[in-house]
Amino acid sequence: MDVLTVTLNPALDRELIVENLEIDRLHRVKNPKYSVMQPGGKGINVSIILSGLEIPSLAIGFLGGFIGTVVEERLREISPLISTAFVHLDEETRENIAIIDPANDTITEINSVGPAVSEADLEMLLRRFRIGLKRASVVVISGSVPQGVPEDFYAQLCLEARAEGKIVVVEAIGELFEKAVESGAVTVAKPDLRGVQQFFGKELSQLQHYQAAAEEVISKGSKMAIVSYRIEGDVIATTEGSWLFTTREHIEHSHLLGTGDSLVAGAVQNLLFSPDDYFTAAKRAMAAAIAESAFLEKLRITNEEIEKSEAFFSIEKLR
Amino acid sequence: MLVGEAMIRDVSAVFEDETVETFIHICLRKRTAGLPVVDEEYRVIGFIGETDIIKSAVPSYFSLLQSASFIPDTQQFVQKLEQIRDDMVIDHMKKPPIVVAEDDTVMYAADLIIKNGLKMVPVVDEKNRLIGVVTRIHLLDVASHGKIKE
Repeated sequence: MDVLTVTLNPALDRELIVENLEIDRLHRVKNPKYSVMQPGGKGINVSIILSGLEIPSLAIGFLGGFIGTVVEERLREISPLISTAFVHLDEETRENIAIIDPANDTITEINSVGPAVSEADLEMLLRRFRIGLKRASVVVISGSVPQGVPEDFYAQLCLEARAEGKIVVVEAIGELFEKAVESGAVTVAKPDLRGVQQFFGKELSQLQHYQAAAEEVISKGSKMAIVSYRIEGDVIATTEGSWLFTTREHIEHSHLLGTGDSLVAGAVQNLLFSPDDYFTAAKRAMAAAIAESAFLEKLRITNEEIEKSEAFFSIEKLR
Repeated sequence: MLVGEAMIRDVSAVFEDETVETFIHICLRKRTAGLPVVDEEYRVIGFIGETDIIKSAVPSYFSLLQSASFIPDTQQFVQKLEQIRDDMVIDHMKKPPIVVAEDDTVMYAADLIIKNGLKMVPVVDEKNRLIGVVTRIHLLDVASHGKIKE
C-alpha cells in the first residue's frame, strides 16, 4: 500500500444540481444524474482521486451506523485500489449535502455533525493507524474530526508517522491543524480555508498575509505549505522560497467541489516518486486541481487530464 | 476467475490480544459475524467467529451434538460467556486459519468455503498479510452469474 489516508469524520456526500435555487420553495431534480450520493470526507476523497491515478491506498478512520455502511460499500465499489479498515461506531456517520446551482454559479452546503467518539474508539483507531503506517510511504490526514477527538490528536498522528520516516500531508483548520503544524511533524501543510480566512490567529485578506501564513508554516518545520489565495490562486512556500500560482482562466465557483482534494492527491502522487522535490509536487498539485475544476461534479481525474492542465497556470516568485 | 476479482478489499481485523468483548463490539457495529485475527505485522494468524465464542461457552461435549437444544443449562452458558468476555481472542480463535491468495481461483476459494462450512475466508499476500476477504454471499453472487468458471 503506497498511501494511508485518515478520515476521522467521513460523510455521505449528496450532491444535488438545482437551477435557480431559492429558499422556501419546492425544487425538483430534473435528472437522476443530478442527484448523486457518494463517499466523502477529505481523506476518503484523496483515496478516490488517487485510485483514478492508479495509486493504491488504505483508507482508515471512523464510520458508523447505516450511513457508515453505505459509505464503506460505495468506496469499495469505486476501485479495487482502495482498501478499507475503518473503526465502526454506534452513532451514524454524517451527511454532507451540496446543492449546486449552475445558473447562479453557487454552491450551498449543509454539513451535519459527526458521531461521538469514545477514548476506546480512539485507541482502536490508533492501533490500526500504527499498523497501517508500516505499509505506506505517504500518510494523508485530512478534514474535520468528530466530537470527542482531542485537539492534539492530529499532532499525535503526525509525530508517530514522522517517527516512522513517512511523508505526512495534512489538510485541516483550527487548533487541531495548528497544533499539528507546531509539532514540526507535518511535511506538507494545507490549511482548509473554505469556511474561514484565518490562520494562527491572523486574518487573511491581502496576498502578503497569505504569503506570511505559508512562510510561518515552513518556519515551524514543514517542507511545503499550500495556502489557497482567492479562487484562482495558491501561495506555495518551501524552504527554498515562496511563489504564487495563478490559473490562466476564470474558474466558476460551482466547479470548485473536490479541487482541494485533487490538489492534495496531485502533490501526494508526485511525492511518492520524488520524495524531496516539493516544487514539482506543488506544480502537479495545481495541475490536478485545475483538471478537477473542469467538472461540475466531484469526479476522478486522469493523469492525461492533469498533464494537459500543466500549461493552464502561471508562476510568480514572491520571495 | 481469480480471487483478486471477487474479493472485498476490507482489511478490518481483530488483533490477537484484543478481548472477546472487543470482537463482539466490532462485529455488532460492522454487522458481521466473524473477523480475521492478525498480529502486529498484519499477518493473519487465526479467524474468530460467533460460533467459536459459542463453542467456548458451552461444555466441551457440545461439539459432539448437532443442535443447541441439547444445551443442558442456558444459565450456565450465559455465565460462561461473562467469564470469557475479557479473554484475548487468541484463546478462542480457530488456528491455523484457512486463507487464500489473490491469484487463487474463485473455484478453489468456493471449495474451501463449502467444505469447511465457512462464511468468509481471509485473502493474504505473499507475506501472509491480510489484504481482504472473500465472503460466501459474494461467491454465490459470482457463481449465480456464471462467472466463477471464467
